Amino acid sequence: MRLKRTIKKYLKVWYLMTAASFSSFIINRSMSVLLLSGKFLRFIFFLLFLYLLVGQTKALAGFSLNQVVFFFLTFNLIDILVQLFLRGIYKFRSLVVSGDLDLILVRPINVLFRSLACWTDLLDLITIIPLIIFMVIFVAQGKIVFSPIGILLYLLLIVNSFVLALAFHIFVAGIGVITFEVDNAIWLYRDISSMGRIPINVYMEPIRSLLTFVIPIAVLMTFPAKALMGLLSWQWVVFSFVISGVFLFGSLRFWKYALTQYSSASS
Amino acid sequence: MLGSVKSLFRRQYQEVKAVDGVSFTIDEGELVGFIGPNGAGKTTTLKCLSGLLYPNSGIVSVLGFNPWQRKTEFQKQFALVMGQKNQLWWDLPAMETFILNKEIYEVPNEQFKKTLNELTRLLEVEEILKIQVRKLSLGQRMKCELIAALLHSPKVLFLDEPTIGLDVVMQKKMCDFIKEYNRRYKATIILTSHYMGDVKELCERVVIIDKGKIVFDGKLEEIIKKFADHKIISVTLAKEADPKKFDEIGKVEEYDYPRLIFSIKRKDVPGVAAQVLEKLPVADLNIEEPSIEDIIRELFTGKNYV
Amino acid sequence: MSKYFQVVRNTFQEYLVYRLNFIMWRVRTIIQFLLVYFLWLVIFQNNQVVFGYEKAQILTYILGVWVLRALVLATRTDGVGGEIARGDLSLYLLRPISYIKYWFSRDISDKIFNIGFFIVEAAILIFLLRPPLVFQANLLLILFTLVSIVLAALLLFGLSFLLGLHAFWAPESEWGGSRFLFNIVLEFLSGGLFPLDILPAFLFKFLQILPFSYLIFFPLNVYLGKLTTVQIFQGLVVMGFWLIVINWAIRLVWQRGLKVYSAVGR
Repeated sequence: MRLKRTIKKYLKVWYLMTAASFSSFIINRSMSVLLLSGKFLRFIFFLLFLYLLVGQTKALAGFSLNQVVFFFLTFNLIDILVQLFLRGIYKFRSLVVSGDLDLILVRPINVLFRSLACWTDLLDLITIIPLIIFMVIFVAQGKIVFSPIGILLYLLLIVNSFVLALAFHIFVAGIGVITFEVDNAIWLYRDISSMGRIPINVYMEPIRSLLTFVIPIAVLMTFPAKALMGLLSWQWVVFSFVISGVFLFGSLRFWKYALTQYSSASS
Repeated sequence: MLGSVKSLFRRQYQEVKAVDGVSFTIDEGELVGFIGPNGAGKTTTLKCLSGLLYPNSGIVSVLGFNPWQRKTEFQKQFALVMGQKNQLWWDLPAMETFILNKEIYEVPNEQFKKTLNELTRLLEVEEILKIQVRKLSLGQRMKCELIAALLHSPKVLFLDEPTIGLDVVMQKKMCDFIKEYNRRYKATIILTSHYMGDVKELCERVVIIDKGKIVFDGKLEEIIKKFADHKIISVTLAKEADPKKFDEIGKVEEYDYPRLIFSIKRKDVPGVAAQVLEKLPVADLNIEEPSIEDIIRELFTGKNYV
Repeated sequence: MSKYFQVVRNTFQEYLVYRLNFIMWRVRTIIQFLLVYFLWLVIFQNNQVVFGYEKAQILTYILGVWVLRALVLATRTDGVGGEIARGDLSLYLLRPISYIKYWFSRDISDKIFNIGFFIVEAAILIFLLRPPLVFQANLLLILFTLVSIVLAALLLFGLSFLLGLHAFWAPESEWGGSRFLFNIVLEFLSGGLFPLDILPAFLFKFLQILPFSYLIFFPLNVYLGKLTTVQIFQGLVVMGFWLIVINWAIRLVWQRGLKVYSAVGR
């Protein structure tokens, strides 16, 4: 009963805040159009690059053109999904620096939820839907080999990727609380994760191992698509879930520690 | 430039104790003022009480809770208002933020309506609730901020510089409201302020903090008795007189004809008063206590802590 | 003149204070570099020549992109829009300082600072990765490369500054979107993502009319020795042309913009 009430409360709060930021979106129309165009172009340019490149060479690290494209599409899917629910991290620094974080800390609602999840951008909703449609068509046309269990694993691993990304964001938030520096950390995450635009197999050792075990971008971006294509052994699947759990646990502990070091910005 | 390059390699850090051995007890329904110069530790103390800061040592207990644990039951019963900080959505009417807070604090619908009505009536803001916050004046915004903070009827209220930046009329209105809130709801209120006017108006009990330590904790009147070793003799002169004579009589605080103000040690007052009446052309003479502002100012400029 | 030197100094000192920011930025650029580097490395595992580039040439190109990012593309002028939108421009208008020279001084400081760092980083990366590189022996070509790099830096400064000026007309909170779009388009059109001649011919020819390809693609191709003397001169002429156009545009926009600025009374 308590749990149900809490879930309702969080859903309501999320809805209210998303509705409020929707109003901001309407108000800042041309900015939104520009951002949308930018995101779209960024996607198209890289896609074009892949088509030109792999189209010529026919294969990349053993993957066909269509497979490579699918890796890229999956990257975008996960990236937008994470943006949808964790976008507040980009505002986090100003929250800490201005001291507004105090006002969030004293309220009876989970601080991470309120500061990270409540800045959902309508733009991301707009971009994720066509992407999903495009991906479904892409797969349905048989451009890559897949199986029903592959699809199930794919979906599960996408959720898993979200959990892993959540852990990264919590960790960055913790850094922000201690050092007041957020932007560098989160952009570092984005740069490293953008290495997942192409399958991690491309990278040489030791980078490949680094990206699999230390900063598991391989788990984040490459493994779901690999699972869909039936290229991921069950050991790696288990590994994916375990590592997300470990990272999530670690990040929450770190967050708790960070709060003890909080020194609050205002006078 | 060399200093900057040096700091690239090694930064020196100095440990500053924001609060050092600050200890006090406050009972239910009290209205206590915290005063101190900038950086004294007033806001830090409030933040420890709110659970924002994690104290290196000592115990903090508010309403029986350890604020640091941020338990929901605790958070639902107190409010922190910081002057200059806004929690209201900028582009939307204040009402939207109120609804959000209602959800966060889990305030039942009936109670929400009732409390909202009472507060808006008290603060006279009925008409502006549907206007975008960015279009409101500072005073109106502060009122709405206050309402947003009080919608869940907190038992404990921490006010950090609530009247900063407001004009004198608004300041008075704010003080009246705080006083009324304390009286009506028996809420325990701690208030920090730079403006002695607020503190004099509202607080019987005052805590003075300087450099992280408590310097005084007690009734406002006691401050005068404890710290002021002098009284003010203010004289209105009937006609011009030789300023050299003033210095012979006692310490001149201010001279702006026809006003003349002496600052005299308490025990010397009767004697000096007699001398003034004898030697100067006096039209009027008053013996007064020094203002609290002056006493506090002297305190903070490091004269003496008795 | 000395006041601008002071600006250079102050900007330099800012970096030393915000050392973390700076280091992180360098780390990020290295990561971005690595992605592209390994991508091409894998491509060349099974191929000898791709789109007319040999392995050494492509890897030199990629390294060159990374260098030119710091030398040409890096700029502080993305702050111009914000300053104008917030009304901070007034501070400069009140004083005897030229706004454009002020920003130019800042960029010079920026680039000097960057040079120091990426020389070290490049040395480390080359040592670790040992890529086959093209070392241009022709001194004349090296000279032309340097000339085109300097022109490219000026060109980028002009473009970015010009973009910042549009904040005179943009509503307060919306000037940031265009900068975002600009950066993405710039990345692609300058050849920062991949060498532009792998694009279909008609597209490539079109891009050569625009100023962007001269920021990264052109100087690097000069260095690689892939252009004839005629082509080099053609490129330099186009760059010169655009510099003149942008200079003229800046003056025009600045004057118009100031009128709007004072009218709004920020």
